Amino acid sequence: MSAAQARVPVEERLFSLVLALLATEAGLTKNEILSTVQGYRQRYSTSGDNANLDRQFERDKDDIRELGVPLETLESPGQVGNNQSLRYRIPRGEYELPSDITFSPEETTLLNLAAMVWREGSISAESRRAILKLRSLGVVTDEPMLGYAPRLRVRDAAFEPLSAALDKHVIVRFGYLKPGESEARVRTIAPIALIQHQGRWLLHGEDQDAAATRNFLLRRIVTPITTTNQKFPPFDPSATETAKAELEEVWMAHSALITVEPGSDAATRLQKRRGTITDGERMTLHYSDFNLLADELAGYGPEVLVESPQDLRDAVLGRLLRTVADHG
Amino acid sequence: MPCLADSCERWPIMAKKPAAKNPPLQAQDKLTFLLSLVPYLMDHDRVSVEEAAQHFGMPEEQIREAVRLIGVSGIPGETAQYQHEDLFDISWDDLEENDQIVLTHRVAIDDSPRFSAREAAALIAGLQYLSALPEHADRTAIATLMAKLSRGASAIPSQVTVEASASDDTLALIRDSVEGGVQLEFDYLNSRGESERRRVDPLRIESLDADWYLRAWCHLREAVRTFRLDRISNPVVTAEPITHGAADVKLPDSLFESSKDDLIVTIDVAVTAAPLLADYIPDGAVTVEHDGRLRTSVRVSHYHGLKRLIASMPGVAIVLDPPDAREAVREWATAGAARYN
Repeated sequence: MSAAQARVPVEERLFSLVLALLATEAGLTKNEILSTVQGYRQRYSTSGDNANLDRQFERDKDDIRELGVPLETLESPGQVGNNQSLRYRIPRGEYELPSDITFSPEETTLLNLAAMVWREGSISAESRRAILKLRSLGVVTDEPMLGYAPRLRVRDAAFEPLSAALDKHVIVRFGYLKPGESEARVRTIAPIALIQHQGRWLLHGEDQDAAATRNFLLRRIVTPITTTNQKFPPFDPSATETAKAELEEVWMAHSALITVEPGSDAATRLQKRRGTITDGERMTLHYSDFNLLADELAGYGPEVLVESPQDLRDAVLGRLLRTVADHG
Repeated sequence: MPCLADSCERWPIMAKKPAAKNPPLQAQDKLTFLLSLVPYLMDHDRVSVEEAAQHFGMPEEQIREAVRLIGVSGIPGETAQYQHEDLFDISWDDLEENDQIVLTHRVAIDDSPRFSAREAAALIAGLQYLSALPEHADRTAIATLMAKLSRGASAIPSQVTVEASASDDTLALIRDSVEGGVQLEFDYLNSRGESERRRVDPLRIESLDADWYLRAWCHLREAVRTFRLDRISNPVVTAEPITHGAADVKLPDSLFESSKDDLIVTIDVAVTAAPLLADYIPDGAVTVEHDGRLRTSVRVSHYHGLKRLIASMPGVAIVLDPPDAREAVREWATAGAARYN
């Protein structure tokens, strides 16, 4: 094997593998793949040890599946349990976008914008790939009259490992610091959904110890995420909708009465906060997390006075005094 | 979170280097591109490299590279020897001489690939975020689109979901003003607490999580300015034609700009909260970790935004230096606490 022959670019090997597996009805055995497919065959030894190549193939399979390519494993009839006789293929019907799915120019423009929302992390790479696939359909879009540059951040360190666990349906473990508690407690959770609520990321999941669903603010996760290899059956997607509806219910059920300084930043901005009812200098605000609202209102300093509930009043005053003490 | 913005004046937050327009493609991205390019070429008997590059938003050389690779790729075939009929073919003369792509033979691929579960989820969550924009008042259209993405995915889309961002009536007026080619007028309150009537030519709407911004040519300042939508009141679409359209003005990529007049403030922040301040920490800031806290610096244009930010992170972020920055925060919180006397 010459050095020149060995240098088949990764994308050429992956592309050749997809083409070979799409073209086969019956499937190819691993040995057939390693000995004949471009990028493997150059490194295949007919006599010797192909363990490295074998591992390469395993990694390539994962990479390809991650792109949504349905790479199937079939057992040869009569040889169940024999790893050497496993056959691999990509069923065309599950690979191809169903032909009745089309996107209009308006829809394509909107999807381009939706993809633009993500600018960091693996979700950004995923939306970029989705757009390549969308453009494959050849739909030509118009530039909208008013340009938009929307952006959602995924800054919480827990986001990436949690979204990977969500996808693999595996249980995770992490330390969670609840406000008011002095020490983080370890939670064992089956992730159901990652929800961005009021500008903050939440994990909705089933607490394995409490045997009930709970929401966790990603920013209160204080340890790295431990991903176990303990799988759980996927939850129905409707569980996500239920969680969102519950969050909305909690939001509506909690309200605070405040007085704002007329013409101040608080008066201008809180009035535009979702669901705010304004009556002169008095405002009724909705919230879902007591501690987050207390932080938010404390930031407005003298521009906001909390009237009720009493515990929110105490919490905001306590925060302001804490800031005074920290800066004394 | 309160912003450190000097509002309409200038953005006091340092700019992270904007992401490159064309980040280098990883092998998985290149594979996705190859699998996407083939069906596109099948639908176009002849297409120029330039047109394909524009369509996919890629450099022309990347298109040529991909087409050359497709031209020599194929399946092992019956002989397992990659015979000529087992390979794609292109018109090589057209590519090398005219920069045109003509696919003359194809194998294995008939159609575009499905989305992966995570790819579909990324687009669906993006759509959820945008669904509050006035353009998308037609909720059934968005729902139909999401259903198509779900059905076009290889597995049930991952459950990543975003609440629709609050709809602001100002957005609809901005759109009217752009469509009519006329100026928009509004009261604007900056973070120093000063309110002024502004007249602007809207250029672009930007957002960062739950916060929405208008970038516009400001006739009062005769320069491009950034306005937070939630600080705009009493907006009116005027009859005055605009003097600056989006095509005439080059907007910097970053929403935030730094200035040589910026003040550097040393803070002590809980490690877990540090990512929240990432935008304010200048490149090359000296960061020291101790007992779960970080000592680092943030860049601000004045203390009006800083005191709000720090007061909203009680116990989590503390200003250490300079003394007048500490004093500004202390005064702000003291005045806030005094209201409860």
